[in-house]
Amino acid sequence: MSDNIYSTICPGCNFGCGLYIRENGSLDVDFRKSSPANAGKLCRFGMSLPKFFNPAKSMIDGVETTMEEAAKEAAKRISASKGSVAFLSLGNTSNEELLAFQKIAESYLCTGVNFEALPKDTYQTISIGIPYNEIEAAKHIVLFIDPYEQYPLIVRRLLLAKTKGAKITAVWWKDLMLADENIRPDDISKLALTQDSIIISDFHPLSDTEQVKNVLSLAKNAGAKVTFLKPFANSTGEYIISKDTKQKSLAQLIDDINKGTIKTLFALESDIAALIPSDTLSKLTNLIIQAGQASSTKANIVIAHDPLYKKKGTVINNEGRVQTLGGAGTNGLEALGIIAGSKFDFNTLHESIKKTIGITAVDEFTIPKYDRPAYGAIQAAPKPVEKKPALIDVYNPFMWFDLADDNDFVELNLNTVRALKLLKGGTLKIKSNGSALEKKFKVAPVQDNVLLTGKSMGIEKGIITPVEISR
Amino acid sequence: MEKGEMYVGWSTKDDVRKRGGSGGLVTSMLAAALEKKLVDAVVVLKKINEFEAVPIITSDINEVLNSAGSLHSVPSHFAKLIANKNLKVALPAKGCDVRGIIEQGKRNAINLENTFIVGLNCGGSMHPVVTREMLEVMYKIKPEDVHGEEIEKGKLIFETKDGKKNAITIDELEEKGYGRRESCRYCTIKIPTNSDIACGNWGVTGDLVGKATFVEINSEKGARLLQNAVDAGYIQIQKPDEKGVAMRAKIKGVMEGLGQKWKEKIFVPMDNRLEYFRKELEHCIDCGACKTVCPTCSCGDVSKCTEYHSRGDAYKMSMYHLVRFLHLGDACIGCGQCSDVCPVDIPLTRLYRRFANPIQQELKYEPGMDMQKPPYFEVKLNE
Ligand SMILES: Cc1cc2nc3c(=O)[nH]c(=O)nc-3n(C[C@H](O)[C@H](O)[C@H](O)COP(=O)(O)OP(=O)(O)OC[C@H]3O[C@@H](n4cnc5c(N)ncnc54)[C@H](O)[C@@H]3O)c2cc1C
Ligand code: SF4
Ligand code: SF4
Ligand code: SF4
Repeated sequence: MSDNIYSTICPGCNFGCGLYIRENGSLDVDFRKSSPANAGKLCRFGMSLPKFFNPAKSMIDGVETTMEEAAKEAAKRISASKGSVAFLSLGNTSNEELLAFQKIAESYLCTGVNFEALPKDTYQTISIGIPYNEIEAAKHIVLFIDPYEQYPLIVRRLLLAKTKGAKITAVWWKDLMLADENIRPDDISKLALTQDSIIISDFHPLSDTEQVKNVLSLAKNAGAKVTFLKPFANSTGEYIISKDTKQKSLAQLIDDINKGTIKTLFALESDIAALIPSDTLSKLTNLIIQAGQASSTKANIVIAHDPLYKKKGTVINNEGRVQTLGGAGTNGLEALGIIAGSKFDFNTLHESIKKTIGITAVDEFTIPKYDRPAYGAIQAAPKPVEKKPALIDVYNPFMWFDLADDNDFVELNLNTVRALKLLKGGTLKIKSNGSALEKKFKVAPVQDNVLLTGKSMGIEKGIITPVEISR
Repeated sequence: MEKGEMYVGWSTKDDVRKRGGSGGLVTSMLAAALEKKLVDAVVVLKKINEFEAVPIITSDINEVLNSAGSLHSVPSHFAKLIANKNLKVALPAKGCDVRGIIEQGKRNAINLENTFIVGLNCGGSMHPVVTREMLEVMYKIKPEDVHGEEIEKGKLIFETKDGKKNAITIDELEEKGYGRRESCRYCTIKIPTNSDIACGNWGVTGDLVGKATFVEINSEKGARLLQNAVDAGYIQIQKPDEKGVAMRAKIKGVMEGLGQKWKEKIFVPMDNRLEYFRKELEHCIDCGACKTVCPTCSCGDVSKCTEYHSRGDAYKMSMYHLVRFLHLGDACIGCGQCSDVCPVDIPLTRLYRRFANPIQQELKYEPGMDMQKPPYFEVKLNE
């Protein structure tokens, strides 16, 4: 008897939380207290990983098969629909797999984000964040995120910064417990930045490009630092690897599927339920998913490879820290090799990654020195916020991965409750685009007329959805 | 051999004796238990480096033999690891491990008859991330250069690969916020007499210092474990000298006194306790890690603290925490695991102990020290 224990990285976001997964009949999460990014601590999602790692099964048109057969069939269908195939990877797997994937995907690569719409000299700033201990030492921190809901492991760094004298300003729709100053997004003109400020925002497939530009330009004009947190285990690796590759945005991909120019979509370790509307997906002739865990999306072909914790390879966290995944599995590369028509060699890919990053050995305790080139002046035209009631999705790991959580309610403030004469313990009616919902609510210090949700309601149009609300 | 007897002993395998925390006796005793089928499995730490090790349940004797050595920066806990697995197992256990195992036993999650608990004397453990920072800030040495570590005369000494010894007093380190975890400072179980056999280096004298382990048999199971290792040729033992026995008792007294002092320093009486608890808990993100890790909690997924709690509630203090404060009043053993894993650094152990100290004192009950039923189990509800 001996346990199977994997020292790995949480797939919930790009924070880089180390943990152990213990396989012993069931799956257990164990705390890896020596992990530099998180000191072994995990958020709600990290604690839910046994639910997340629900094993995937290889399938061809609903019939169970082996990984090899599924990959062969995928290769056949991909080559049969040459010219109308798109390749999507959000960055939830190893650098080595992503590099192999990119070689396959040259014709149509989508990493989910819209780099093309941003000035090239900002890529590095967006891709690689500021080390957490630098955040801890900051004098002024400005948040364009809800750290508790979205990137919980940053909270302790912020609290530590506060004990060292930092002032925290939140630009958010809700007062944040740890903020010394709360500014509503509409009142952004009240934000005072200096060279001592560090801005923390985030960057993901649903980010509003104008808003990203706005944050970059605020930082630029004040000489402040800016860091973008990201939602996938290896978002940073993905962006570094693909920085010189031509990419399509998610909006473009959806458009191309709707127009019928893309008929086959191959998604590598990417949960598309949160990103691509189901009526768009239904237009595809072939949806091929290669992943390590089951997903709610119905695919024509599922290529089930090792879950992340069993994989061999590296990921890069938000600080630029290169971390080892901990397993020995390379069947993801094998499957990609079948699709490419030629085998991939792990070591060759690994060496190439190290060269790109500029390291000779993988050491999770050092953060490579990356060039942080200053970017030029940026013109941003953020949309003015309408004064109408709006439902705002606070994207968190549960949402990105379509995993159930105890959060089937919206947050709103007392003024809204009073204005609508809502009853304690009762519900609220939300209408949008012809759909109507009834939801429980929680009173919180939220902006007037704003509803916040950590769970996708199915009626949203992006992050902010105008809605009508009533009792 | 019987309960109450003391011995000094060491591994007959030279390399185990050399690598061992003191004499490699613990490792060899565990390996012998496995070889002679006293148990089916053993829990040990699989070392990754000086600051990291993973607890494993193994039936591989080599894996057990490889585990020799004390890792002071690995604050693991073994009770939950073996709970609900129905194992016939032997394992090393710091005072808090022993207490957790006994409490799981009372809750029928561990069969104590089948569990051989090898107690380790414990002056305290350190958090690995804090240790790394301490090495860089206080000792000015790179963590990777550390070769070994020891505690001598109140000093924490790190030996580097170049053979140099770097010493700083524990008092100075702890004043600067480094050193032992807070809960270890006020822990008063320095020699785990609640285990089957208590092992440590206190009490080893003369030429044997650093080369032998001092043991005290606390139960019939402990006697069997030791005798089995002697019979199997894994260890050699002899009677301790009187000086050693006296020295051990003296150090125990001093350490317990120090623990008591820390307790008084940390738990100063306060006004407005409710506001204090509310404030400390305000950043909680409901991750549930503090419950998962707690070695005295044996509720599964369905438990009062989680069932009464909903993230949709807007109470000033969640039902989760209120129920837990109540439940841990008689159960908390002060192991520090909850503070270690809290993602928002809430000093949870301090909060739980604020409740548990007066309750356990009033009820004259120390959880995990013996098989006394938890007082809350005895509460009868009026009809
Ligand atoms: C954190 C800590 C503090 C200690 N403080 C004291 C002290 O102040 N005074 C004293 O007399 N003795 C102390 N000891 C005990 C001492 O260091 C030796 O473990 C003991 O003397 C047995 O020695 P040995 O050579 O027979 O053990 P070994 O043969 O080296 O076997 C040690 C066993 O302990 C396990 N182990 C190692 N580190 C840990 C850990 N962190 N948690 C749980 N299990 C672990 C190993 O897996 C191995 O099975 C402490 C031990 C630890 C782990
Ligand atoms: S709580 Fe006590 S027994 Fe446990 S590690 Fe700390 S000092 Fe040792
Ligand atoms: S409440 Fe915390 S300190 Fe007390 S027994 Fe549980 S984990 Fe240990
Ligand atoms: S570990 Fe901390 S954040 Fe998680 S539930 Fe417990 S108190 Fe809350």
